Amino acid sequence: MLKVEIKRTLPDFQLDVAFAIDGEVLGILGPSGSGKTMTLHCIAGLLSPNSGFIKLNDRVLFDDAQKVNLPPKARNVGLVFQNYALFPFLTAGENIAYGIRHHSRQEMNHRVQALIEKMGLQGLQNRYPLQLSAGQQQRVAVARALAPEPDVLLLDEPFSALDSLTKEQLEMQIMELRQFYKGNIILVTHDLAEAYRLSSRIAVYETGKIIQCDRKDKLISSPANQKVARLTRFRNFMDGIITNIQDKSVWVDIPDLGTNLRVFANGHKDLAVNQPITVGIRSEHVQAVAAPGQNIFCGTLNSSVENLASINCYFDLKTEKSGNRSLEAAFSKATAPQLIDGGSCYLYLPPEQIVIITN
Amino acid sequence: MISDYLSPLWISLKTVLLTTVITFILGIAAARWMSRYTGKLKPFIDGAFILPLVLPPTVVGFGLLLLLGKHGWIGHPLSLIGTTIVFSWPATVISAAVMAFPLMYMTTRGAFEQVDTNVEDAARTLGASEWRVLYSVTLPMAWPGVAAGTILSFARSLGEFGATLMLAGNIPGKTTTIPVAIYFAIQAGDMKQAVYLMAIVLCIAFVSLAALAYLKKPKARMRSLPGNLVPNDLLYTTGKKDKTA
Repeated sequence: MLKVEIKRTLPDFQLDVAFAIDGEVLGILGPSGSGKTMTLHCIAGLLSPNSGFIKLNDRVLFDDAQKVNLPPKARNVGLVFQNYALFPFLTAGENIAYGIRHHSRQEMNHRVQALIEKMGLQGLQNRYPLQLSAGQQQRVAVARALAPEPDVLLLDEPFSALDSLTKEQLEMQIMELRQFYKGNIILVTHDLAEAYRLSSRIAVYETGKIIQCDRKDKLISSPANQKVARLTRFRNFMDGIITNIQDKSVWVDIPDLGTNLRVFANGHKDLAVNQPITVGIRSEHVQAVAAPGQNIFCGTLNSSVENLASINCYFDLKTEKSGNRSLEAAFSKATAPQLIDGGSCYLYLPPEQIVIITN
Repeated sequence: MISDYLSPLWISLKTVLLTTVITFILGIAAARWMSRYTGKLKPFIDGAFILPLVLPPTVVGFGLLLLLGKHGWIGHPLSLIGTTIVFSWPATVISAAVMAFPLMYMTTRGAFEQVDTNVEDAARTLGASEWRVLYSVTLPMAWPGVAAGTILSFARSLGEFGATLMLAGNIPGKTTTIPVAIYFAIQAGDMKQAVYLMAIVLCIAFVSLAALAYLKKPKARMRSLPGNLVPNDLLYTTGKKDKTA
């Protein structure tokens, strides 16, 4: 159990975050400069917060009220640095053994051997970091951090410097790591897909604050605000006013388009008629259909981009006022409508896929 | 007389070795402190540490004489307990150490500042004390710079003349180091002794420069960590092909 509630003030930045994890993987997601690494360094004791507390299991690592601030060496926190920070003058095996030198030689060798096997580093233990590939260096760094059996493992952008193939392999390795490391893991990343694959909960950072911290499926299905929605790849947003609420259905007037859009409340209980809200939909949830109807708009294809498995189409929707409203749709290649630039088709926004963002 | 050569050589060696040990320890301590220190006084402390390098050695020697002399701030209390430093063998060590210290300090500080703080922090999170971080991470990583500083301060104290003459004087068999002995040999017209002593100094200087070149050479494996680039020739040195690469 790790509980963190810290504030750290710098002249032009303030970190103010609170979260708790219990034997799970927490992903910290956010752009660079949002305080992700700073949070990890505060937990590891390399930086001191101005106020708040950090509790790990039944130990207090930092508490400004109790004047407790343990040095890094007394925290038993494993940290894997973004650039791995291996000791270049020690071999892979010696790197892994660095944190367990106080054990007997037999115990030390036993643990190093076990980690070398678990991390798939057989045959590499006598190489120096410079003689290892980036992926191997990263595995040595993880093994080194795990050797003292830390209560929490902090991974700082562990895959940022790797090519996509190595990255996939190492992600598998981190997932397998859960089989023998049952402690808390915090994974810092700026890649949503990576955070989604590896963690059970995700905290979204924005300039030093957590703007949403939820189970990963919840974060994806109901973003708390537009920033989270944008970060989780919602591409289309429309402002509107609620005109009618019936059971779970909500009708939203979109003044731009001059129509009512039907959406589902999806757990929002505080909705009221005449309340201004924003609705959002992912590009992959927009469907091309044959005939007009409820939640269906006529769009003119402006441009398209072909991806590996899908086609991203940028449509212009006809609006009441002058000027266009754009809508982004991603069709799988098999079902994409055959359109040329300037061609039109009907676009259906399924009510169950539209999210309501109240603030 | 052979002792005419051996005595200055012996005094010089004793002085230089002790001076090198002292500047090695003090230089590393000061460099470590200043590479972390961020207070307002930093430029002043830094300047004070480097000052002896800029001042003429006679000025440094004169300053030390004022400080350590019978009426000086340090010399007076010492004289009360019956100790005199001026014109004694320890004076050769003190003047050489003061002159050599800036070289050790500057070179070592530069090397310390180049060390990736993440690597030191990694050691801390692995349970290392500050002391262990210093000797097991910072010093090995800064080694080429530390070695260069040590050799430079060794060479500087071997060549020390001005400050030594001011503070320790020229007492044969007691404070006469090789440079002082050469100067007075020439003054006395004893060219033979001067040439012999010069040959000894040349030998020591050459050996220490060779040692510098040897110690400073960074080992291939120590040449910084690349992000994701691994030269192929290094990757395959053990003959085993790499699975993931």
